[in-house]
Amino acid sequence: MRIVCPFCGERELGEFTYLGDAKPQRPAADAGEDAVYDYVYLRDNIAGVMSEHWYHGGGCRAWLKVTRNTLTHEISAVEPAAGAGAAKVGA
Amino acid sequence: MADFSWDVRSPLDRALVAGAYGAQGDAGVSLTEIRNFDLVQVMARRGKAGEMAKAAKARFGIAAPETRKAVGTSDATLIWSGPDQFLVLSKGGKHGIDALAPVFTGSASLSDQSHARVLISVSGEKARAMLAKVSSIDLHPDVFGVGAAAATSMDHTSVTLWRNNDRDGQAVFNLLVFGTFAESLWHTILDSAAEYGVTISHSEELA
Ligand SMILES: [Zn+2]
Repeated sequence: MRIVCPFCGERELGEFTYLGDAKPQRPAADAGEDAVYDYVYLRDNIAGVMSEHWYHGGGCRAWLKVTRNTLTHEISAVEPAAGAGAAKVGA
Repeated sequence: MADFSWDVRSPLDRALVAGAYGAQGDAGVSLTEIRNFDLVQVMARRGKAGEMAKAAKARFGIAAPETRKAVGTSDATLIWSGPDQFLVLSKGGKHGIDALAPVFTGSASLSDQSHARVLISVSGEKARAMLAKVSSIDLHPDVFGVGAAAATSMDHTSVTLWRNNDRDGQAVFNLLVFGTFAESLWHTILDSAAEYGVTISHSEELA
């Protein structure tokens, strides 16, 4: 598997580290214990297209948001994660 | 309190043995460790990439690379190392961290890497063939010409790699590696280069 880093170009999988699901959003401070538990621990086991965080630690050290089909490994989109490459993503 | 005397010493001090290595005959690969350089990491603060670029242009007279490139001035090389960041490689303190700190006040964070990285220059007829064994990126001149740069990994070790100006009509590849990983990578490179014959040296010249 290869990932096309928006900053580095096409690179082998070994340069990247997988974090996991990019969908969960940190709940508001007053959201309650159930929402925090859900955010920290509960994950869907998606068979199909999934949005994931990957880290290009063996390259430009940017965090990426990768849209990948977990059944076929087909990658349909790669974009910088929020905060990676300030110029590209904005503040 | 005890007095310490700090000897500046390359992380390859023990590993590097100058002379010939590997196959006999004309050496296909030259390995030169370049010592005693100034290296500063410049990283834009959030939302300040434009200001950083302006400051760099004013300081160096050329634009700092915003894509995978290395650009040279008469006394410094600016090497892309990731989004909104680059390395400044120079000698003699003119563009060292003390000199650059006031230039980038407010626009970028600076980190002195002068004694944190090892700089290895790889050249010779078989340089690319040797690097192909340890790098997954395409170094063919059609895609990796003079001035091309990459943040990549070799033997699971992060490196900054760029192609310098040709010497004697042949490609020169420079690579920066973290000091603590340098000895390990050095041995991997020697293993990879041995079949072509190697000339090993060290130098104080950035060239
Ligand atoms: Zn990258």
